[in-house]
Parts: sequence; C-alpha cells; structure tokens
Amino acid sequence: MAAGDSSEVAVRPEPHRPLVTSLVFDALTVVIPGTRVEALNEGQELYADLGMDSLRFAGLLIELESKLRVDLDDEELMTIELVTVADLIDLVERISLRTAK
Amino acid sequence: MTATARDPLLPTHWFNILHDRPQYVTSAVSRTRLPADGKWAGHGLQLQQPFSLARQSLNTADRLIPIPEEILDLYAQYRPTPLRRAVRLEERLGANARIYYKYEGANLTGSHKLNTALAQAYYYARAGVRRVVTGTGAGQWGTALAYACQVMNLGCTVFWVRSTLRQKPIRGEMMRLFGAVVHESPSDLTEVGRRALREDPAGTGTMAVATGEALALAAEDSESRFAVGSGENSVLLHQTVIGQEAVSQMALLGEFPDCVIACMGAGSNFGGIALPLLGAAEDSGRSIRLIAVESATCPKLTRGHYRYDLSDALGTTPITKVYSLGSTYVPPPVYAGGLRNHSAGPLPSAMYADGSLEAMAVDQLTSFRAGMLFCETEGILPAPESAHAVAGMMDVVSRHPRQGPPLVVLVNISGHGLLDLGAYSRFAAGEIEPVSVDEASLSQSLTALEEFNQRIAEPAEAT
Repeated sequence: MAAGDSSEVAVRPEPHRPLVTSLVFDALTVVIPGTRVEALNEGQELYADLGMDSLRFAGLLIELESKLRVDLDDEELMTIELVTVADLIDLVERISLRTAK
Repeated sequence: MTATARDPLLPTHWFNILHDRPQYVTSAVSRTRLPADGKWAGHGLQLQQPFSLARQSLNTADRLIPIPEEILDLYAQYRPTPLRRAVRLEERLGANARIYYKYEGANLTGSHKLNTALAQAYYYARAGVRRVVTGTGAGQWGTALAYACQVMNLGCTVFWVRSTLRQKPIRGEMMRLFGAVVHESPSDLTEVGRRALREDPAGTGTMAVATGEALALAAEDSESRFAVGSGENSVLLHQTVIGQEAVSQMALLGEFPDCVIACMGAGSNFGGIALPLLGAAEDSGRSIRLIAVESATCPKLTRGHYRYDLSDALGTTPITKVYSLGSTYVPPPVYAGGLRNHSAGPLPSAMYADGSLEAMAVDQLTSFRAGMLFCETEGILPAPESAHAVAGMMDVVSRHPRQGPPLVVLVNISGHGLLDLGAYSRFAAGEIEPVSVDEASLSQSLTALEEFNQRIAEPAEAT
C-alpha cells in the first residue's frame, strides 16, 4: 500500500457518515437545550421542526468549528442554505473530508 | 504600509464586554414555540451576516478582539475623535461639575455609525457578498453604510423609515451620492411593506417594518445580504473604539468620569462609550454610573417590559429577551428617528435588568432646548438623538449638590445635527408642538407583547 493511501485511511475512518451524523447530533443537543439525540433524525427541518434561528445557527457553527478543529470560512458559509438535518450533515461531511485531506 | 498616519490613541482592538460578563450573551426562544401555521416549512437556514460577525457576537473567550489592518486604516482617517471639556456650558449651567463630551459627528457621514459600517462592509466584502440591504431610522446608519459599501465596492440598498425620510430628504441625497438605492418604508416592494401600507396607508413607518423589508429583499437575492446598524453584540463591539479612546483621553487629563451618558436607540452609541468605561472602572476598582437617555415618545427602558420579542415585522429574526414596547408599537414621528426602535438590544437590556445601567426619558422640546444651548456654548449642533443625551446630562448635573466634590460627567455626542437644521429652525420659531406617547397604542402593543410571551412560555421559560 502506498504511503498516501495509508494516511488517507488513517484520517478518514469508515464508515464516515455515521460519525459525522453523531457529531452533528451532539452539536444540535448543545445549541438546542432539552433536545435528546434519540429525538433527532435526518429528515427534520432545522428551521420549522427544530426551531433554529440565525443566532442558534451561528452557535451551531461555532460548536462544529470546535468539534472539527477547523476555522470555518466566511465565504463558503455565505453560499450555503440548509433546510434539513441531512443538509447539515452533508455540509459537515464535506468540510471534514476536505480538512482530512 | 498604512495609508494614513495612525494616532497612538487609536485603539487596535475592540473591547468585548462578553468576556467579563458572559451572562450577557444573547439567548433566544426556540421558534418551535411560535404558532404552527406551517408557513415556515421548507424555509432554509442561510447566514445573513458573515460568520466572523456572528462569532464576534457570541465570543466570550477574548476580552480584546484585534481590529483588522484594513479597518484600522479607515478608522485612522477620522479617529481618534475629539474629547473636550464643555467649559462654557459648565459656566452657563452654574454646575458643580466638570462636563466632558466625546464628539462622533466629525466624520464624513456625520455620526458614530461609521465605526460599525466600515467593519461590517469589510466582512461582507470578504465573504463574497455583492450587495448589502438594510433598514434605517434616522438615516445616520443608512448614510454610513452607503459610504462604507462604496469604499468596499459593495452595492447598498436602504429601506428608510418614511417619517424621517420626509423630514430630511437631503440625507437621502447623501446616501445616493455614495451609490445607495434608497426606498421609503413602508414600500410596495415587499409583502411586509405592502401589509403595512394596507393597514395604514399614511403611516409613519417603523424600524420593525424597515428591517422586515430589508430582510425580505435580501432573502430574494442570493447575492444580497441583510446588515443591521444597532442592537447586535457585534455592532456594540465595533463601537467600543469610542469608549476606549475616551478612557485614554481622560487619563491624559488626569480624569475618570463618575457618570457616562448617551442616548439610547437600540444601544450602539451607548454601548460604544459605556462598555469600555465600565471595564476600565472595574479594572481600577472605581464605581461608575451609566445612564441611557431615551425619547419619552419611545420609552422602551423606562416603560417597556423585559420580555421575549421580535425585532422585525417579517418575524424571521431571533426571539430575544429585550426591554420592549412591543413590535407593533408605532412611536410618534419625532425628529430623533434613531430613538424610535420599539426595543433596546439584548445586551443593554440585560444590563438594565441587572441594574448595571440607569435610564431616563426626555421629551422632544427639552432635547431641542438642550441641543440649542450646547450649540450656543460649544459650537457644535448635536443631532436630535444626541441632544437627548445632552438634556439627560443637564438633568443629572442639576441634581448634583452644589457643595462638595464636582461631578465628572462624560456625554457622547453621537452625531451632528447639520442635516436637522430645519428641525432646529422650526423649534426656534416655536413651531414644534409637544409630542407624547399615544397611550392607547402603547397599551395595545404591550398587551400584544404579553400575549405573545404567554404563547411561547411553555413548557420552559426560555432556552
């Protein structure tokens, strides 16, 4: 196995999405007090179902920034629009994969 | 290399009170407590502000936040602003006081609003935004943002509250000179505006409607984003250059104020001067009084309720705990349009709730009288909003005992009144009638505010 392959395996454990989902659910329970992980699912809408507003959204991004140990970029975040929890998981997955590379 | 020589008194950091008092971090009620009419299903979450600004609003880790070099260069063009002792005013008042004032009106756009406009435009441009949309009351914020957007090569659209737009059209010309598109609010461009026009075609407009219109327009255009000139913690943060300079300037004079006074719209000029002085007082074990002066026609602190409320008529902004008269309250069309916000910002509200600041309300005629006296003695015509601060200061000084140590007072003159000459002329000619709160309207709005809070109160009070 080439060195590059082994390093990729080392920083990107499989399966990746369940880990990211768990991380996102944990972050959501921090910014939405009273929410339990068991009550969350990917189909829920962040705004309509979970009551997220811009303040909580910013808090969520700060929480994810800390958990992912990355500095989120203003320009990238300005272009996103998230409706569901699944959209959020997709975003975090993209960021974590890019960071891992 | 810097473009302008920097004065050593120009702060290089913003002062973050949330580090010292993390309990002031803004909290919001979950939107799930709102009536489930389904209108928000499918609504996406999108950042209106650059994340850097949101991060500043929630930062409790850093007491000092570095000001980016590009913003410092722009600040250096007009900062530090003057701090002077109002000796002739002291003599006229016969006061047992040393009165100092910080003057924020000497920059191109004429008010303190430029301090955050430049900072915000910098972050919006860096985030790739093409156009910024906002609501403005007195027009000072709209003017400052228009200029800042021009500096940063951003487009700018301003929804300006109708009553003030019609009082001082020349300020609209300034905004247009700086490249902004200016709309009277309520307008027929948005559903929020059309609804307000249907309800009251001749209405004066409010900040809640203007803000709602700006949010609605920004939501329709992927290249536009909404910006706000007051109330947000990040806005107060940017304004702390005022108070930090004042601390240094007063120290050079061997002084420290017993009392800091500023007018209160949503709280940005008040926070800008008061928060660094509060920090400096606590660092040195001194006591200090912070006094917010509001318009008697919009007495959100002295007569409002500390409740959860919306800040815009669209209803998409966070539901935060603030001193409010209710978002449906329509203040009389006074000349101090910048004091017509129905609520104070969350941070000054929290400070008022825990007793860290005092509040007083001043009527329009008293404020004009104070503004005229200030102009006569100090050669500066304060904006109608700032004239409220002067009137408040005169009241505080008049109550100080004639014997004993003099009171050391610092008042913030947040802007000039040169675009309000018409109003001052009308006052001088005795053409301005007393204006008071519409008690029925206020009572109705406060009742609606209480009902709103009862609806969202279960199962827990707040998160």
